[in-house]
Amino acid sequence: MCECCSSQKDIYLPELATIRKKQKFTRLEMYYHVELDSGKELGHKAGQFVEVSIAGIGEAPISISSSPTQSGFELVVRNAGSVTNAIHKLDSGAKIGIRGPFGKGYPVDEMKGKNLVFICGGLGLAPQRSFINYVLDNRKDYGDVEILLGTKCFEDRFYVDELAKLAQRKDVSFTETLDIGCDQWKGNVGVVTTIIPKVKTDLSKAHVLVCGPPVMYKFVLMSLAEAKTPKQNIFVNLERRMKCGVGKCGHCQMNDQYVCQTGPVYRFSELGHVPEAI
Amino acid sequence: MSKPRVAIFDFACCEGCQLQIVNLEEEILDLIGVVDVVEWREAMSEQSQEYDIALIEGSITRPEDEERVREIRKRAKILVALGACATIGGVNKLKNNFDIEEVKKCVYGKDAQMPHLATAMTKSVDEVVPVDFKIQGCPIDRKEFTYVVRCLLMGKTPVIPDYPVCVECKAKENVCRWEYGEVCLGPIIRAGCGARCPSSHFRCFGCRGYTDNPNVDAAKEVMDKYGLTVEDLKQKMELFGSKQGHTI
Amino acid sequence: MRKLTKSEFQKFVTALIGSDQQVVGVQAKGDRFAFGPLERSEDLRLDYDVTLLPPKKYVLPQVETLMTYEVGGGYQSHMDSEKLILLGVHPYDLVAINQMDKLFGQDQYDAHYMARRKNITLIACDVVTPSKNVFASSMGTAVVTEGYDILITDIANGYVLDAATDKGRALMKLAPGGTEASPDDLAKRKAVQDKNKTQLNQHPLKCKPSYLPKLLERAYDHPIWEEKARTCYSCGSCNTTCPTCYCFDVQDDVNWDLATGKRWRAWDGCLLENFATVAGDHNFRKKRESRFRHRLYRKAKYVPEKIGGEIACVGCGRCITACIPDIANPVAIYNALLEDIGME
Ligand SMILES: Cc1cc2nc3c(=O)[nH]c(=O)nc-3n(C[C@H](O)[C@H](O)[C@H](O)COP(=O)(O)OP(=O)(O)OC[C@H]3O[C@@H](n4cnc5c(N)ncnc54)[C@H](O)[C@@H]3O)c2cc1C
Ligand code: SF4
Ligand code: SF4
Ligand code: SF4
Ligand code: SF4
Ligand code: SF4
Ligand code: FES
Repeated sequence: MCECCSSQKDIYLPELATIRKKQKFTRLEMYYHVELDSGKELGHKAGQFVEVSIAGIGEAPISISSSPTQSGFELVVRNAGSVTNAIHKLDSGAKIGIRGPFGKGYPVDEMKGKNLVFICGGLGLAPQRSFINYVLDNRKDYGDVEILLGTKCFEDRFYVDELAKLAQRKDVSFTETLDIGCDQWKGNVGVVTTIIPKVKTDLSKAHVLVCGPPVMYKFVLMSLAEAKTPKQNIFVNLERRMKCGVGKCGHCQMNDQYVCQTGPVYRFSELGHVPEAI
Repeated sequence: MSKPRVAIFDFACCEGCQLQIVNLEEEILDLIGVVDVVEWREAMSEQSQEYDIALIEGSITRPEDEERVREIRKRAKILVALGACATIGGVNKLKNNFDIEEVKKCVYGKDAQMPHLATAMTKSVDEVVPVDFKIQGCPIDRKEFTYVVRCLLMGKTPVIPDYPVCVECKAKENVCRWEYGEVCLGPIIRAGCGARCPSSHFRCFGCRGYTDNPNVDAAKEVMDKYGLTVEDLKQKMELFGSKQGHTI
Repeated sequence: MRKLTKSEFQKFVTALIGSDQQVVGVQAKGDRFAFGPLERSEDLRLDYDVTLLPPKKYVLPQVETLMTYEVGGGYQSHMDSEKLILLGVHPYDLVAINQMDKLFGQDQYDAHYMARRKNITLIACDVVTPSKNVFASSMGTAVVTEGYDILITDIANGYVLDAATDKGRALMKLAPGGTEASPDDLAKRKAVQDKNKTQLNQHPLKCKPSYLPKLLERAYDHPIWEEKARTCYSCGSCNTTCPTCYCFDVQDDVNWDLATGKRWRAWDGCLLENFATVAGDHNFRKKRESRFRHRLYRKAKYVPEKIGGEIACVGCGRCITACIPDIANPVAIYNALLEDIGME
């Protein structure tokens, strides 16, 4: 090997990590607590993601669901294809490959002292939780905190114990809804936009963080426009096809933006010239 | 852990695809090393009941064959259609373009009414039972076949090209057949064969079936540009495109 | 600068072939040309018009192993380390390689690309025969003054060789005889280059290339994308043959032991239907016209933003030749836009 390669890190090479804890969340989602074998912390920022590698199958970008304030990191993986299916088959103690953290994440410092409203749809809770927990661990640094969560049905809810605790907290307001109601569910029924009017914080002054499936953004952003939330105070967390995670392969591009580098979190006002975004 | 049980069955076809497997040479030993071949008329005659993977070669042309396919489906965890006959009906589908009694008369003459020659519209396997994976081509590509088998053994969905033959053809630096005034079906046919035909100076005649979303309208318009007629194209499509859905 | 007679040059090529480096040169392929391993100096065709594929295939191979691994275990980097001489690269293709050097070197350093690149010596040559669709003169890529290790110019009675780097000068030591190029030789060389500056122009662009990003800024919703893309096959030939396309796919395959395997990357193209499809079949660039438009924007707006304004179309004309419905011609599109929405 020549000197140039030994001196430069290989950006495609995963490092080994071990699954320390696994828990079935729903029919499709599984929770994992992971530690790097190097003993080091991942050193991520809230809102960043990793490329999880399963040798022989491939890689998949997965959001980091835990706050940087805790040790190790957590992932919530939905079984959506080959790689994620292979992850689901792994148990505690199994080795996986990790690259990252990648992307920009949330501007956690800029938002200090601000009122925050999190709007999460389904699996969108997983990435948002990294920032929610960060805020809760640094609660005095932030203003009012409101969390809205919409899930398709009762069986699809995850992090249920934590959600129950959230609902108990006095310093956080938590509102949940299900698209489809059922006997076990006594709460709100309707898509997530139906609970936006219940927000107590003044939306025209709050910072709003949105993450959910592609179809959700249009409707939430319409509601926020009605509520007069300035575009520079809205943050969206976008999904794209990703292969490299490091700005080379071109797959994640939306117009001139490489989501793996300048996203997945975007300030909505910065997407004005990015028509492919939403 | 015991080795996965694999069975291979053949229906109406030339068995050229099985020949491709037999011709794997060294790799056949690798293959036998990781799977138990439990039924394979071509090479052995053991009988067994359940299969982890069943490979079906050939198209379905008789009612009793439909029964047999349903039985195989019941016993197989993963069902793979092998080769153009099984995946798209293949050359056998040509007869669907004609009156079925005419076909029989033409092929079997005065024996046409014999019961064992009962034949119906040709069907691809997935027109009879759900198929989990398809290995396209007439015949199949050996490299692709072994790749798919390895994927299935790993529990992974094989990544089969959903783009047209032109991608592989250009990568091989062939001069496009269209530049010689030939109607090549490459732009609307699924890649994966390594552009086998254009690389040997023949146009692609579509044995791997259409891409998921072929731009057939474009094909018609392009004919004009090259001074050809839709009839020319239709003719080229017939060999493998018969009643495939998107036929022009 | 050195001048070699044609026979001295042939000896030079023979010496290169005999060196410890692999020599890849332009040769005839049927009635066209292609880069390939050069075994005999007489097979080299520096009078070629254009190669079917750009020399990119040696800089960013069609399929490249990135790493090997044990299933459930560790990963090992895989780097190419073979030394290679690329002989006969036309200026426009050279510009494309230089652009790719910037793209793979910037931000996150791509050690695989860069390792291979450092092992390659680029011997460029000025164009002798214009191809039927070249428009390098319009793009300012018909001649080059940098980016090569050696530049060869055919001046009829011999070749003028300009060795611009240490790598190039080291190779020049293998050149037998030759003389210092005379003022007359240099004048002839300049004449060849001056001619190419205007003559490699089968599709003249009606504005300066530097204006293209501005033009595209106002053309996003123009009907031309839909008009053109109506007959697009999504065959990706305009990507596969382009010297500046560098998008790739990454995939895994295991060996028959099902315990070891490799991860490789392979060329990909943004025109292909599922380039932006994610799990669950959501395609973020579903329409033909949005994929068609993306390529043109990549070439003349998005990539230029990453490499200091250089337009990422070098005017080789390969996409024009490759496109069966004849819609891929970048100049036809830019000129039509200029006509319709004008300069600002
Ligand atoms: C920033 C970001 C964060 C995310 N966070 C999460 C998260 O927290 N939790 C979660 O569950 N999901 C998350 N996702 C989604 C997740 O990445 C996908 O569900 C996952 O990549 C699916 O991969 P797969 O291999 O399981 O599925 P498949 O789609 O089956 O993919 C199989 C393999 O084949 C490849 N492939 C598929 N089709 C083709 C084709 N046409 N051509 C070539 N190759 C192909 C795929 O890239 C993959 O390598 C996130 C995505 C992004 C972009
Ligand atoms: S020869 Fe056929 S497959 Fe090859 S590029 Fe031309 S149309 Fe496509
Ligand atoms: S080139 Fe066309 S006809 Fe030939 S093998 Fe490939 S898909 Fe079949
Ligand atoms: S866009 Fe076309 S003309 Fe421009 S560099 Fe690519 S292939 Fe050549
Ligand atoms: S985005 Fe498209 S045009 Fe740009 S490099 Fe990738 S494949 Fe080529
Ligand atoms: S070469 Fe032409 S037909 Fe093929 S993808 Fe490009 S623009 Fe479309
Ligand atoms: S994922 Fe490859 S460029 Fe963003």
